[in-house]
Amino acid sequence: MKKVFKQNEIYVFFIFIALCILITSFNRSFFTLETLFSLLTGHAFEGILALGFFVALLSGGIDVSFAAVAITSAYIGCLLMIETGIDKVIVGLLISMVIGIIMGAINGILIGYFKLPTLIVTLGTLTFYWGALTSFLQTFVGKTIITTTMLPSSVIEFGKADIFQFTTKDGTVIGFPLSGAIFIGLAVLTWVILKYTTLGRSIKAIGGSMEAAHRSGFKITYIQVFIYSYIGFLASIAGFMHIAYFRVASPLYMIGTEIAIIAMVVIGGASITGGKGSVIGTVLGVAILTVIRTSLVLMKVPTYFQQFVIGLLIVISVTVTALREQRKARASRVLDVE
Amino acid sequence: MIIFRNKKLFVLFCITIFFFIIMSIVRPDQFLSLRNFQSMTIQIPDFGLLALAIALCMMTGGIDLSVVAISNLTGIATAWMLTNFIKPGMPGSTETLLIILCMLIGLIIAATCGAINGILITRVGITPILATLGTMGLFGGLGVIITKGMGITGLPEKFLFLGTEMVAKAPIQLYIFIAVILLVGLILNRTLFGFNLLMIGANPISARFSGINLNNVLLRVYILSGILSGIAGFIIIAKANSARSGYAASFLLPAVLVAVLGGTDPAGGFGTVTGVVLALILVQTLKSGFNILNFSSFFQNVVLGGMLLLVMIINFIGAKVAEKVSTKKLTAKTLK
Repeated sequence: MKKVFKQNEIYVFFIFIALCILITSFNRSFFTLETLFSLLTGHAFEGILALGFFVALLSGGIDVSFAAVAITSAYIGCLLMIETGIDKVIVGLLISMVIGIIMGAINGILIGYFKLPTLIVTLGTLTFYWGALTSFLQTFVGKTIITTTMLPSSVIEFGKADIFQFTTKDGTVIGFPLSGAIFIGLAVLTWVILKYTTLGRSIKAIGGSMEAAHRSGFKITYIQVFIYSYIGFLASIAGFMHIAYFRVASPLYMIGTEIAIIAMVVIGGASITGGKGSVIGTVLGVAILTVIRTSLVLMKVPTYFQQFVIGLLIVISVTVTALREQRKARASRVLDVE
Repeated sequence: MIIFRNKKLFVLFCITIFFFIIMSIVRPDQFLSLRNFQSMTIQIPDFGLLALAIALCMMTGGIDLSVVAISNLTGIATAWMLTNFIKPGMPGSTETLLIILCMLIGLIIAATCGAINGILITRVGITPILATLGTMGLFGGLGVIITKGMGITGLPEKFLFLGTEMVAKAPIQLYIFIAVILLVGLILNRTLFGFNLLMIGANPISARFSGINLNNVLLRVYILSGILSGIAGFIIIAKANSARSGYAASFLLPAVLVAVLGGTDPAGGFGTVTGVVLALILVQTLKSGFNILNFSSFFQNVVLGGMLLLVMIINFIGAKVAEKVSTKKLTAKTLK
C-alpha cells in the first residue's frame, strides 16, 4: 500500500476524482455516461497525440512536430481517397499511417544518426512538413479545405461509429465510440511495448541516461528512429480521427494546439529529463485537462482564459514534478552519508 | 575580424554575399532600391532582437521559447498603459515623461517575465525547454486576457516615432538595434558575465567547480533575454500602431533558425553576435527576395525549415571531418 502512495499517478488520480466531484456539484448533468462517451469521442485524438509526445519525453527527447505530421499525413490520405475514388476508410488510414511513419522516421534519422538536438529538429520539420503541404496544395491542387460534402462518406461514418450500443432505462441510446476504443487500444499497445519488449525497455533506458544505455550496448540510433516513427504512426491515426470527427479537412487545423497536448503529458507526471512517467499517468493527464477545459466552458469562463490556464497548468505540474525529484535526490543523498 | 577567423562564420558570410549577388542580378531594379533596403531594415530589428535573445540562452545550453510571448505581453501592457494614462490635451513635456515611464514599467515587466523563467530553471530545476514552453502559454495567455482577445489601438503620436521615424533615410529602430547588439557584444566579449555565460554552456560541471555561481549567471541571462524581447515588443507595437496577442507569433521558428544559422551551438558554449547578425541579414535577404519573386509565404516556411535542418547536418558533418583530420594529425605527430 505504501508503494501505491509513493507513485505520482495516485495523486493525479485523486485530483481527477476531486475535479469530477467539483464539476458535478456545479452542473448535475456532467457526471453521466453520455457526457463521458461524448468527451471520449471528441478528445480521443488528443489522447493519441499525447501518447506519442509521452514516448518522446520518456526517451529524454521532445517532439513538437506531431501536429504537423498528423494533419499532413491525414490530409494526404483523405485527398488520395477522394482523387482515386476509393471509399474505404482502411485504405485512407493505411496511406496516412505510411506517410506518418515516413515523416516520423525522417525526424528519427535526423535525431539519431546526425545527433541533432530533438527540439530544433522537430521545430524545423514542423515548419518544413506543414509548409510543404500548404505550398503543394496552393500550387498543384488549388483548394485547401476539404468540406463535408467532398469528404468520402466512409470517413464520416468512421467519425461517428460506435462499437456497441445500449439503451438506458429512459430510452436514450448510448454508444461506445470507436475512436475511444482506438485510443484505449493504442494506450494499451504503448503500455505493452514499453513494459514487455526489449525495445520499449531501451526507450526508458536511454531516457534515464543516454551514456549509460550506449555503454551497455543499446543501439541508440535504431531506438530513436523507432521512437519517432512510432510517434508519426500515432500522429497519423490521430490526424485521421480529427478529420473524421470534424468532417472537414484543412491544413490550418491542429497547428497551434500542441501546447495543450504537452500540458496533458506533463500533468500526467512525465518529466522531460526522461526515464520517468507512465502511460496511465498520461491517460489521466489527458482526462484531467479535458475535464478542466470542459468545465471552463460549463462555468462560462471566457475562452480567452484557456491559453493562460493551460500555461499555468504546465508550469505548476512541471514544478511539482521537479520539486519531487529534487526531494528524492536529497533523500537518497542523506542515505549515502549514513 | 572574427568572420575570417571562424570557418562557420566565413561560410555563412560567403552564402550571404552569394544570395545578395544572385538577388541583385535577378531583380536589380527592385532589390537594389532604397525602398527595398528601407523595408529590410524595418523588418530586421524586432525580429533580430528576438533571435538574439534566443541565441544568448542557447549559448548557455538552454533555450527560451517564451521570447515572442514576452514581447507580446510587454507590448500589450505598455499599450494599455499608454492608452489609459495619456489623455489628449496634455502638455508636451508631461506626455514625454509619461511615455518614458510607461516604457520603463514595460521593461520591468519584461525583466520580471525573464526572471520567472530564470527562477523556474535555476531554483526549481525545470529544464529550459519545458519551463519556457509553460511560460510561453502563461505570458501569452495573460496578454490575451488583458486584451480580451482584441487589439489595443490608438497609441500616442509621440510613442509611434519608435516605429515610423526615419533618421538619415534609415528607420530609427535600426539605430536602436545597432546600439543593442553593440552592447550585447560588449557584454559577451568584455565582461566576466559574458565569459561565465559561455563557460556554463561549454561545460556546466567544470564551470561550477571553477567557482562560477551557475544559478546567478543563468538567472541574469534569462532576465537579459526578457529585456531584449521587451524592447522588440515596443518596436512591434510602434510599427503596427496597435497591440494584439497574436503579433509576431510566426517569429519563433525563424528566430531559432537565425540563432542556429549564426553558428550558435544549440548544446551551448559557442556563439557570437556577429554570427547572429550575419544570419539575420541572410534570412532577411531571402525573405525580401521571395517577396519580390512572388513566392507564397507557405513556400518560405519550406525553405526556412529545410534550411535549419540542412545547416545543422552540414555543421555535424563538418565537425566530424574536423575531428578526423585532427586525430590524423595527432597520430602522425605521435608516429614521428
